Amino acid sequence: MHEAASPLSRTPAVSARSRVLPLLLVATPVLLALWLVIWPAAEAVILTFLVPGEGGTEVWSTANYARFFGDSYSVNNFTNTLWTTAVTTTILLVIGLPLAIYLRFAKGQLPATVQSLVMFPMFVPSIIVAYAFIRTLGPNGTVDIFLHAVGLPRMRTPYLTPWGPVIGLVWDGLPLTVLLLLSGLGNVTRPAVDAARDVGAGWLAILVYIILPRMRSSLLVTLSFNVLGIFSSFTLPYLLGPAAPEMMGPFMQRTFGDLQDVGMARTQAVITFAVCLLFGALYVWSIAKGRTKSAAGGKS
Amino acid sequence: MNRREFLVAGAIAGLAASTRLASAAVRFDMYTDSDANISDFWSNVIKPAFEASNADVDLNVVIARTGGGTTTVVERALAALASKTDPQLDFIEEFDPLSVKGAVEAGLWTDLSKAGLQNYGKLNKDAIQTVWSLPYRGSQVLLAYDTTKLPKDKVPKTFADLVAWIKANPGEFIYNRPDKGGSGGNFVRRAIHEANGRDPGVFKIDNYKKGESDELLAKGFAILNDIAPSLYDKGSYTAGNSASLQLLAQGAVTMIPLWSDMALQAIAKGVLPETTGLVQLSDLALCGGFSAAVVPVNAANHAVAVKLADFLLSADIQTKIITDLGGFPAVNWSELPADLQAKYADVIPASIPTFPGGDWDAAINDGWYRTVAPSLSRS
Amino acid sequence: MSLLSISPPTPSLLTRLLRRTGGADWFGLLAFIFLASTIILPLVVVGIWAFAEVWRYPAVLPQRFGLGFWGEMLARRDVWAALTTSLELSFTVTALSMLICLPAAYAFGRMEFPFRNTLFLSFLTLRAFPKFGLLIVIATIFLNLGLVGTFAGVVLIQLVDTLMYMVWIPAAAFQSVDRRLEEAAQDAGATPLQVFWHVTLPQSLPTIAAAVILTFVGTFYETEGAWLIGAPTVTTMPILMISFINNQLVIQYGAVLSLMLWVPSFVALMFARRVLGGDAIARGLGG
Repeated sequence: MHEAASPLSRTPAVSARSRVLPLLLVATPVLLALWLVIWPAAEAVILTFLVPGEGGTEVWSTANYARFFGDSYSVNNFTNTLWTTAVTTTILLVIGLPLAIYLRFAKGQLPATVQSLVMFPMFVPSIIVAYAFIRTLGPNGTVDIFLHAVGLPRMRTPYLTPWGPVIGLVWDGLPLTVLLLLSGLGNVTRPAVDAARDVGAGWLAILVYIILPRMRSSLLVTLSFNVLGIFSSFTLPYLLGPAAPEMMGPFMQRTFGDLQDVGMARTQAVITFAVCLLFGALYVWSIAKGRTKSAAGGKS
Repeated sequence: MNRREFLVAGAIAGLAASTRLASAAVRFDMYTDSDANISDFWSNVIKPAFEASNADVDLNVVIARTGGGTTTVVERALAALASKTDPQLDFIEEFDPLSVKGAVEAGLWTDLSKAGLQNYGKLNKDAIQTVWSLPYRGSQVLLAYDTTKLPKDKVPKTFADLVAWIKANPGEFIYNRPDKGGSGGNFVRRAIHEANGRDPGVFKIDNYKKGESDELLAKGFAILNDIAPSLYDKGSYTAGNSASLQLLAQGAVTMIPLWSDMALQAIAKGVLPETTGLVQLSDLALCGGFSAAVVPVNAANHAVAVKLADFLLSADIQTKIITDLGGFPAVNWSELPADLQAKYADVIPASIPTFPGGDWDAAINDGWYRTVAPSLSRS
Repeated sequence: MSLLSISPPTPSLLTRLLRRTGGADWFGLLAFIFLASTIILPLVVVGIWAFAEVWRYPAVLPQRFGLGFWGEMLARRDVWAALTTSLELSFTVTALSMLICLPAAYAFGRMEFPFRNTLFLSFLTLRAFPKFGLLIVIATIFLNLGLVGTFAGVVLIQLVDTLMYMVWIPAAAFQSVDRRLEEAAQDAGATPLQVFWHVTLPQSLPTIAAAVILTFVGTFYETEGAWLIGAPTVTTMPILMISFINNQLVIQYGAVLSLMLWVPSFVALMFARRVLGGDAIARGLGG
């Protein structure tokens, strides 16, 4: 098997012509991104490290970050966002993994139907998710109506609690999660599982010893994409979540739009970006590692 | 009412004329991020009336997302001012000119007191907050409640009664986050009034002082923290006026603070049941507010914008704000037909307490988020 | 990735795995019931609201049904105009995105050049950096180009938003193409372009299709850029929806609009089902 190069792995040096061609090929999207987003973003990052000094000058300082991390309210919002990310991702994995395993190996009409159900939320924008949530799980919503109809007490609604955004984000994130996990399962083949079964392994042992180790990178990918999505989410936490603690999305918007504290809003934006960048690098790193491994290890 | 029928007929004729001439007319971009009753009022009442008298204008009502939608466009207009380009923004129906940093300093807003508005002198002086904003409609927050659960004769009439009622009926009251809509915002302000001798005069547009003023606000927040455990879901706050209204409509709560104009429209449209009661506190009314329009100096149709500003203060439109919108006029009552005041005396009081914006807004909103919002008492 | 893993999934395996605890496809049935209640139920509720004129707790069904809100909604010219605008935008942006990103994705996936890894990672900024921090800068650029309030302006701002998925996903797909097939074609005398057209492209097509669908749907529902650059003249469907849901007392408008939007969504989903099978997008996204 030939080496399948990854974006991060080095391949032998090539001629001058073939060094210019790829640069030409990537030029348009790279320049577009540089011009409209990366350059202004870099400027914004630099501005957060400049604070007014003596005599109208600006000096380099980490004061903005010290202010953010020294303020318990801001830190609370930050950890709340991390909490939401962790919980949402865990729930997504607990629901998504069995579904993905099922979709990977089962065949027929039922799995096809299950698959289209799993995919549907991809086509429902957050605003409608929020709207449907309030009508269904909100106070005196459909679930309450059914409970009332059969003589049960009303449920404790997750609307306006930290669980509101979690449920909304799980709903919203299920399609992508299942797709990512399905990708990891591409590496789990029948012979591997059969071999394990031949030596008498149960389904739990197969999951722990055969399936999960081969999915490490796709689990990391799921995590990094979720961080990206949840840190930038606005509509669901804003409409479904509690007033406090806030999530970073609505918090940044409020700092920027309502409090008019542009410097602080920018700092919050950079912190959010840094977290996403960290997990984004994890994504690139994990596919690189996965490819190298599958290229080297070859057939499983 | 013959006069009104005549006006409606004229408006319809005007609408027909404007659509016919649409291609030849100048597009005039008016933005609003208010609730739907306001944008409907603009589309159905102001637009046809204004176009009828300005045949060459096509008034384009642009609806922005509530809570922040117009801020984006103002940022854009600020950028346009710097680069001397067309901001594609002629008029904002409601915007606090002080809320975007650097806009006033950059000279983005038109000084409407000096723009030659014929009707400017008719304005209720209490309604004017800055020279860049033109108050044109007032509204008041009152309490809307479910009369099937709370009989009319048992409804609280003073703030102290209200607090007592909230505590005696836990989970039956909710107000929205103060930055996400005025009904919750003015409930919060009423609590601040309550804690400071019920004297709205204490708070002025230019007398906010960091630290000192925050102590006044903190006393109000203490009241709100005190009632928090008895609110809906032990201290939850909705994300807007409409969200609270939906909870009342679904019977999830018994009472909410609500804008008077929204309440009247909701009942008229059947969103709130006929059994909804409305009440105002008698010791000191819940704050109201005047919505003020702004005109950027770099508006492409600046002359039309000034004309529209003047038009909004005309007796015709001010009357319609009362009759069609259930609002409160921004001009003095003496400028309006005498019979009107007599007819609406019960519904619309002679004056409404207001709370200044500017620095107070940010202080109240952020203070509330930091001290009141987190005090959930869930177990 | 070996050929083995691309081969069709084994039908019996999971069934066999699961048969240890039951009889038929119990898991599938369970999954179906779970998803039907969690995914479909909220949407059905929205659907019922669209036809309800009065529905108050605790009635199980609306007290009064009616088509009044549909009539009102369908008669609005702005709704239809916005739907057309949104579809035109989504098609244009997706096509342009494919045009500029697929060659780039091929380069990232298969070629070696300076700063490759940095450039590849830099696309993350497009989605991860909160846009409000860049409002003034972006607005200034577009104002100077005279693109504010124009279709082209919205296309450009939305195009930038699509770059990450459209580069990242197909890049991984090009990378995982089986090189032996390409070499075999080369040995048989095919030109590089023929190899690409007849071997490389068909193998990466399902993943590219997945990226295209993600891009199309994402663009259709994008609001931030569309509002910043498009207002006041270019009104897209989701911008209209937000004003109908957030600012409205009457929730039925939102419900009606939602149902209207599920029509294009459903068409897209039907299409997606064909290409988003087991391996398609999956292979592209790593693993």
